[in-house]
Amino acid sequence: MIEKIYSSVIKETCLKYTSPSGVKVFMLPMEGYSSAVAQFSAKFGSQDNSFSVNGKDFINVPDGTAHYLEHKLFESEERDAFSLFAQTGAVCNAGTSFDYTQYYFSCTNNFKKNLEILLDFVQEPYFTAENVEKERGIIGQEITMYRDNPGWRVFTNLLEGLYSVNPVRNDIAGTVESIAEITENTLYDCYNAYYNPSNMYLCVAGNFDPDEVISVCETHLKSRAPLDIIPGTFSEPLRVNQHRTVLQMPVAKPIFEIGFKLPSEVNHESFENYVYYNILFDIIFGNTSDFFEKMRHDGLLNEEFSVGVFSGRGHIFPFARGESPDPDAVLHEIQRELDAFKTAPPSREEFERIKRATYGSMVRDYNDVDSVAGTLSGAALEGANPFVSINTAAGASYDKLIKKLLTLDENNAAISIVSKENV
Amino acid sequence: MINIFERKQKGDGVFFNKIIDKRFKVNRFAVYFHTNFDELPRPDYSTAAYILSDCCAKYPSHALMARRASELYDASIVSNTTFGQWNNRCTLLASSIIDNRYALNGENLEAEICALMRECILNPNAKNGTFDETATALMRAELIDTIDSVINDKNVYAAYKANQTVFAGEPMELPVNGTHKEAELVTPASAFAAYQRILKTARIEIFAAGSSDFTAAEEILCSMFSDIERGNIAKLSAKPSPLKAQTARVTDTFPMQQAILRMCFKAPDLDDRDAVTMLSLILGILTTSRFFQNIREKQSLCYYCSCSPNKNQRTLTAYAGVEPHNLKRTEEAILAELEDIQKNGVTEDEIEKARLDIRNQTNSIYDSAGSLINWYGNQIVFGEFLSPEEQAERFCKVNAARIQEAARQFKLDTVYSLSGEGLQ
Repeated sequence: MIEKIYSSVIKETCLKYTSPSGVKVFMLPMEGYSSAVAQFSAKFGSQDNSFSVNGKDFINVPDGTAHYLEHKLFESEERDAFSLFAQTGAVCNAGTSFDYTQYYFSCTNNFKKNLEILLDFVQEPYFTAENVEKERGIIGQEITMYRDNPGWRVFTNLLEGLYSVNPVRNDIAGTVESIAEITENTLYDCYNAYYNPSNMYLCVAGNFDPDEVISVCETHLKSRAPLDIIPGTFSEPLRVNQHRTVLQMPVAKPIFEIGFKLPSEVNHESFENYVYYNILFDIIFGNTSDFFEKMRHDGLLNEEFSVGVFSGRGHIFPFARGESPDPDAVLHEIQRELDAFKTAPPSREEFERIKRATYGSMVRDYNDVDSVAGTLSGAALEGANPFVSINTAAGASYDKLIKKLLTLDENNAAISIVSKENV
Repeated sequence: MINIFERKQKGDGVFFNKIIDKRFKVNRFAVYFHTNFDELPRPDYSTAAYILSDCCAKYPSHALMARRASELYDASIVSNTTFGQWNNRCTLLASSIIDNRYALNGENLEAEICALMRECILNPNAKNGTFDETATALMRAELIDTIDSVINDKNVYAAYKANQTVFAGEPMELPVNGTHKEAELVTPASAFAAYQRILKTARIEIFAAGSSDFTAAEEILCSMFSDIERGNIAKLSAKPSPLKAQTARVTDTFPMQQAILRMCFKAPDLDDRDAVTMLSLILGILTTSRFFQNIREKQSLCYYCSCSPNKNQRTLTAYAGVEPHNLKRTEEAILAELEDIQKNGVTEDEIEKARLDIRNQTNSIYDSAGSLINWYGNQIVFGEFLSPEEQAERFCKVNAARIQEAARQFKLDTVYSLSGEGLQ
């Protein structure tokens, strides 16, 4: 049974289908395009480090396990998935996030064959003591590479500053020490729990035949009994963990990232929150704002400054990031501006302008096959309508925006700074 | 495949290129000014480029300009200066905007964004022969930040430092934006003088790509330069980088954990550009490449080890991030892979995988208006414009003998390593 989901805003139709295996499939054919992208995702990310399956004892796994598993899934007993895709010309890769792991390919030919390879290799784990050991050095190098990246360090330190116990505060790839504890058994435990069809999604966009996708799903997706996976619980305090973090690294000018912890009633991912806080921060601090103009003239900010919303399963926060000779002064001015806006909110005219710009930027996302597949996956992983973001942006209301503004506590903020000197 | 590319000469050194494809929801516009390096300081050109998209006479501050762009459904308008493909300087003003079909109130968005670009180019924020003082001061500061921020990305920093040796005596030896010290000397008048030189002497390539028929774009953007007295138009030609008589070796240290290795090979007499593309795929770019399979997967020496060709300079650069104590081993492993191809050639299986990849890559170009602009923009010096599909056919005709011959011509020019002093 195929469900057609139409958006009158973007004038596109998404096809939704649940395969007999239980995997949910979302498809958006794009007329005239040459390439197709398929993303096969498991709702299993770095934050899923404690879980119980079907009421059994909780299993705790080392930080970095989801990412390690992603690396190893490309390998099978005979040959690795890269070499199979090389025979079709597709580009394939994978990525691990805080709350999901995704395997994908992009191709302009041999779509059916590529989809078969993708579904097969993700469903055929092959972990041995030897091949798990071989990967440790490569992942260790990847961890080291990120540790040399000031942009990544300022972000991960912000997560540690915002959250006390939420596992999103742990680095996706783990540490050299934590990955040393990962064995083939750790990987199988996680694979058997989280790579269950009921926990997986396939999203396809671009140039393909939906009937072909359905046919491949029916012949290649294996059925397994759904599992009752209970994630480990934690009680995240309402207040930020640490207001200020500083790390010394060689950067030209101090770089910073500021996050605002939201009240618990909105502290979960919701596309509505995502869209509204984006609009709100864009109005108050974006490049059309008086705030940014003044801070730039005062030499406190430059073109690197940006605002947005970071969200995922169990976490969402608006942020501001950039470089400044005095990041603490930037935080102070941002807090002052937020407070001022609560008593003198933005005009309806400003709201309408930014709402229109937000709509325009989302139309752009539908111009690109990768972006469309990513949008479908994002919505699928949250069980949302695939057009939820653009529909919300097009229908955003001023009154709701003001309510969101009033929920923000400007003092419940954390700042992470990377500077060459101890500031 | 239908021909989607059309090109016309619209004046002395001014060309209009349009790429029409109905699949796109967004239209893109780009005005490229190609100039040669001259005696004027580099930061003057870069500051002028920054000012172009930051403000103009009609919208004299960044906020006003940004508000205009947000009224146009989050249109983007950007400018920058980069090295062109041919050792020249390329100053770019580019924009993108959603197609008129998606305008909520029936606006002609193509005409609006092209009019804004025209304002930026013809009526910048300047008076009496100089740029506005405040705008210049802000953009000079931004430029200095950009120049200094090279250290923020260790790979960029390693490339920047390596280029000082690889391209010694050539324009690419120095950063395109100049140095911090030079940038401090930029004045409203000096930047404006550089801009005037751009307008008068640049080879100007205008591109429009997307689903419109671009009648408005052609009318608005191409008439811009008819009243400007132009002459001594920059000549573009590919200049191979000369091979050093002896391999140069440079080692720098920097506070970081991982070391970065860059090895530059040169083949100044090699004309077979298509063979170089195939060679680089087989040697280091594909996940089935020699570097990925043998250096990463078999020897676990690094997370990444790849290579990048520059067909105009005729260089091939291999690079990897490794443990400092593995630098020597990785250098030897990279050399061994190239030497093996020089001696024993490549297999038919490797060539077939490269062909499949190249067909996939070139077909994908049709899905991005920006990629199509880059594709055709990179061919202007050759005077022959091949579609991605036509070029793919040429790549696929490259055989094992041509790849081996290309590999044989590459000689090691520079080995550069940036090694960590350790960082917690």
